[in-house]
Amino acid sequence: MIQFWVLGRRAIRETLRTPESLFPTVFIPLFFLVVNVGQAGKIFPSGETAFLEGQGYAAFQLPSALLLAASFGSAALYLVEDIEGGYFDKLRAAPVSRTAIVLGRLTAEAAKSIVISAVIVLAALLLGISVASGALGFLLLLVLAGSWAVVFSGFMQIIALKSRSAAATQSGSLVFFPLLFLTPNFVPRALLTRPMEIAATFNPVTYIMEALRSLILDDLAWAKIGRGFAVVAVSAVLMVFLNVRTIRRYD
Amino acid sequence: MVLAVEAKQLVKRFTGRSGTVDAVRGVDLRVEEGEVFGFLGPNGAGKSTTVRMLTTLMTITSGSARVAGVDVAADPDAARRGIGVALQEAGLDPRQTGRELLVLQARLFGSSPAEAANRAQELLELVDLVDAADRRIKGYSGGMKRRLDLASALVHEPKVLFLDEPTTGLDPASRLTVWDEMRRINARGTTVFLTTQYLEEADQLCNRLAIIDKGLIVREGTPGELKAELQQRRSLDHEPSLDDVFLAATGRTRERVAGQVQEVL
Repeated sequence: MIQFWVLGRRAIRETLRTPESLFPTVFIPLFFLVVNVGQAGKIFPSGETAFLEGQGYAAFQLPSALLLAASFGSAALYLVEDIEGGYFDKLRAAPVSRTAIVLGRLTAEAAKSIVISAVIVLAALLLGISVASGALGFLLLLVLAGSWAVVFSGFMQIIALKSRSAAATQSGSLVFFPLLFLTPNFVPRALLTRPMEIAATFNPVTYIMEALRSLILDDLAWAKIGRGFAVVAVSAVLMVFLNVRTIRRYD
Repeated sequence: MVLAVEAKQLVKRFTGRSGTVDAVRGVDLRVEEGEVFGFLGPNGAGKSTTVRMLTTLMTITSGSARVAGVDVAADPDAARRGIGVALQEAGLDPRQTGRELLVLQARLFGSSPAEAANRAQELLELVDLVDAADRRIKGYSGGMKRRLDLASALVHEPKVLFLDEPTTGLDPASRLTVWDEMRRINARGTTVFLTTQYLEEADQLCNRLAIIDKGLIVREGTPGELKAELQQRRSLDHEPSLDDVFLAATGRTRERVAGQVQEVL
């Protein structure tokens, strides 16, 4: 527990000391939010589009921005730096729990993602979006986005541990784009074409996006929220397990 | 006789797409407590691979190794508590300060926050980095980084300290400082397992040494014994240097090495 705590604090310190890496994480998702709404907002006028629940199209798009921000984690790139610089070996040569090495970074990533998500949601509130599920919904929104950051950063860390290369790790992050776009990103699942609907149904990101969206557009819809949390929890456990196993087998 | 390091028929085999490579092919080592043991060899001879196996950083293909009395494969965490490691790349986090790095390392070995802070201060004084302690490591010189790396390997007062080419890339003054640190650490009772390519370094610091070539130990003894053996074997009228011992042991000649250098140039 102490090891997890000190390694988590180190990872947070690392982030705070490279503030320049945070700017694109906030700016790019907000940029996509504005661009997507600018391009498709008129197709879905708020008063005539039932799935918007009385809000503007920006509210429908906000979950994509949150997921995008949560997928911009830098934990894996810092890990590659540790590997290349020899600090990772220093940690491995100490009697440190491999789970603490993984969880330290991933928990810091979740904390960072929660703060960034809060900034994005607050910016969205200024644009007229409201969180229909209230204060509790707002907190759940942040926790869900932070949990997705754990999953995606965990995935990226596996690439970092296997490839030991910054270039390969950076390229691995591109996998997020198919994950994000094979979802009900622009319209609800029921309005997708059949092949897209099938793809979205098999994509775990769909359920997280739908849970985030329900927190913004509906009151607390526990079935959707529960599905989102269940998917992210299973994915997070799987990623932590795979990370720990990869470190144990690291030669 | 208590052994700080004992390896029996240590083997490391790498299997890749291009085939199988035996980097270490049956190494036997016996290092007594309190020694400074030198481990020499040309590039690619298997030095670092052997050290990585002894320090739990790499799996052992076959054979066995005990460090600080613990089987490294059977109980790696117990072995890690008994060893300090400073590898070729100074394993430091450039975004932290020297003090933060040492405190973190001490906390990872189980110290309380107060104990860790005290230990960090002691070590900063030992390696003469008190003035730079609260600066970020990325601004340190090569010599300062090397000394900090050495300090971080000592936070838990290890029984055996592994130093893998600790002076590579350092200027002569920094090299002498690191030598002094090593002597001081050894004088406190820590066994030092030193790999180096600098034969003068081995001659100056090591009680005994082994030379590895192509994954096998080809010479072992005190520097004096190895020189005397070569002098007798070749009927030399002068005492050979450790360079001569190294070249003879690894089947190289000065002419051949010079030729290789010319080819590179």
